Amino acid sequence: MALFDQRPAYAHEPTVAPIEHRFSPYSDNGGTILAIAGADFAVIAGDTRQSEGYSIQTRYARKVWQLTDNATLATNGFAADGKNFVKRVKQRLEWYEHAHHKPMGLKAIARMIQTMLYGRRFFPYYVYNILGGIEEDGTGAVYSFDPVGSYEREACRAAGAAQSLVQPFLDNQIYFKNQTPAPGAEAFVPGRLPMATVLGLVVDSFTSATERHIEVGDGLEMYVVMKEGRQTTDLTDEGQLPAGMKVEELGSMGEGRGEKTFLVSMPLKRD
Amino acid sequence: MFLTRSEYDRGVNTFSPEGRLFQVEYAMEAIKLGSTTVGITTPHGVILAVEKRVPSPLIESSSIEKIMEIDAHVGCAMSGLTADARTMVDHARVTSQMHAFTYDEKIGVESCTQAVCDLALRFGESVEDDDALMSRPFGVALLIAGIDEKGPQLYHTDPSGTFTRYDAKAIGSGSDAAQQSLQDAYHRQMTLEEAAGLALKVLKQVMEEKLDENNVQLARVTPEKGFQILAEAELKERIEAIAA
Amino acid sequence: MPVEGPSIGFDFSNYARNQFLGERMNGLPRATSTGTTIVGLKFGGGDTGEEEGICLGADTRATGGPIVADKNCEKIHYLAPHMRCCGAGTAADTEFVTNLISSNLELHAYSQGRPARVVTAMTMLKQYLFRYQGQVGAYLVLGGVDSTGAHLFTIHAHGSTDKLPYVTMGSGSMAAMAVFESSFKQHMTRKDAIDLVARAIRSGIFNDLGSGSNVDVSVITKNGTEMMRNYETPNERGIKSRNYKFRRGTTAWTKESIRSLIVSEEVKMTTGAGKTQDGVLDVPVPIGKGPGGEEGMDVDA
Repeated sequence: MALFDQRPAYAHEPTVAPIEHRFSPYSDNGGTILAIAGADFAVIAGDTRQSEGYSIQTRYARKVWQLTDNATLATNGFAADGKNFVKRVKQRLEWYEHAHHKPMGLKAIARMIQTMLYGRRFFPYYVYNILGGIEEDGTGAVYSFDPVGSYEREACRAAGAAQSLVQPFLDNQIYFKNQTPAPGAEAFVPGRLPMATVLGLVVDSFTSATERHIEVGDGLEMYVVMKEGRQTTDLTDEGQLPAGMKVEELGSMGEGRGEKTFLVSMPLKRD
Repeated sequence: MFLTRSEYDRGVNTFSPEGRLFQVEYAMEAIKLGSTTVGITTPHGVILAVEKRVPSPLIESSSIEKIMEIDAHVGCAMSGLTADARTMVDHARVTSQMHAFTYDEKIGVESCTQAVCDLALRFGESVEDDDALMSRPFGVALLIAGIDEKGPQLYHTDPSGTFTRYDAKAIGSGSDAAQQSLQDAYHRQMTLEEAAGLALKVLKQVMEEKLDENNVQLARVTPEKGFQILAEAELKERIEAIAA
Repeated sequence: MPVEGPSIGFDFSNYARNQFLGERMNGLPRATSTGTTIVGLKFGGGDTGEEEGICLGADTRATGGPIVADKNCEKIHYLAPHMRCCGAGTAADTEFVTNLISSNLELHAYSQGRPARVVTAMTMLKQYLFRYQGQVGAYLVLGGVDSTGAHLFTIHAHGSTDKLPYVTMGSGSMAAMAVFESSFKQHMTRKDAIDLVARAIRSGIFNDLGSGSNVDVSVITKNGTEMMRNYETPNERGIKSRNYKFRRGTTAWTKESIRSLIVSEEVKMTTGAGKTQDGVLDVPVPIGKGPGGEEGMDVDA
């Protein structure tokens, strides 16, 4: 064999080509959000870690926002877009209240978010939104959105980094997918679980996602929106919540019908 | 009378030293020449009734349109330069549809009225870059009737862009007498039938012509069926009913 | 006809094929990475009277993309009785390369009649890795004690090496090095060395998303090697708030068919191999019970 073998045919010749440089306006800041609707309440939750690549930017960044007495919004994806989007939603809520002398209903907020997102169809907010709260008819509701505004009312939804881990769990536990009722027992009806059960499922979703997803952790914030007249002892009573929770009642934001919002928070693993 | 005003009634946006906008006031005069129009609110809905002037027997009376639908739950009746009302109703219709599109809910009656009034003041000399303004004030008044979560409502708008909510209101040439009649006969617990009857009676009273299904138009807004303009057959029945 | 290529060096004949497959499928398969914090430092020696040695540390998280593949994997690999090697990078590569070199070191020890030196291991590793031009993704921290003293090296996948008193590698190397840079001292005691190594690993565990779970520590002195697996466990999973046992019969089925897995067979005795032999005991095999006992696994709520 020759010392300098001939270059084989399959090796490419070096070529000169222009290198494309482009501005990349988006980043992915990890984290996960989740919302579950009950008969007369809704839970909207998110972890508090914000990361980029392998680095934690902050262990406490808010992803869930109380909008009105009966609506709370969770955002996930690109944190800067999320913050700005929430700011604009809040501004629109204020304008609406000035123009129409009433707070915007949940269904109206959902539709408005669609029009806001679709308005940026060709330079979207890189944000997955989940809206939860109490509908005008008093039922608990969850609306989920894609970044350009496709939306749907659902009983539950997970989004973000650990969506693929959490949603199948929710499908099984909330929609009773792949579960056969006992012979003679009533058929399962989604969206009717008691609050203590729902909160337990949310906590377990997040502790489990923290175990297996590197971008989830640090803290958990659960916003519980309750219909007017509902017993707040459902939250505050001994044994209703898993141990180690901090419960805070959030003040009314305006002239609602007496719905109450609570912030339930707990630490998550920090590794 | 006009001699003293001549200095200040040229520009549509010029105030007189007494603080009056004469062009707007003249526009209000136009309404006083218009056909009489009546609106009555009840707990069960709102009634709108309007006199159609048919000066010639050769006119196809059904082509005179003085009550128009704005949305499924809002309608309006007009008096004055009815052609101007087209612009206003178009604007109200677009606003209502935009609201439904953006918020997935019916627009409030007041919000709808407000939108119309916002338009009413956009007259004057156009400024650079401003979309073409209207050259003069609208010469028409509207009675906007509708139902929303606050219940049945009736609003009156005038060329100055002012709007006021009424239980019952009459506008147009016979408005003075008609308003007095309404005040005498109106009570808050009226049924919709009573209100329709009252509206027709009031019109009958102030109209020169003999009231029939061709020279009057009646509409109602109800929680069940929304805005409806009565068909000639039903209108005829009602006219006969009040005559009896 | 196969493509004729040079018989030495790299063979890229599958490059075009792999590129093509990568485009047709969801990209080329991705290897599990140990997205890691690994560290090592030299302690003792000098005039302190403290025995000279090497302290190695590692976290225990293995990842595949953003998913935790293993919560408690072992990243301090055995090379020889007096040598250990921490691995970061592609999990399979670190495991394979340390195993291979471990074998070769043992052969080397046999042929030379003495334990292999740390530099020897280092040289074998770097030559192997250089040959693969960084394609074998092993990033290593090698430490050990031999007749010439305690030695600590880093070896990069391309084959470069460093010999330093304190080193860190992996995605958590910056977090760990921050600790070393602020607190490392020459000639530390064994206890201080272990504490500092554990602190550096913890810094990686908590500040680097690629690292997590537990702290493994290994200490090598001429008196022996101590492997402290799960030296610290600062990330124990809490208890779940609900209980997820399913009622028997939860899973629906379309048909049921049970058949015995035990096959009975008539065997005819012949002479020779099949014949009963003296001194061979027949042991009856228990049948009918699975690992969970007669009833199978406990699944009832």
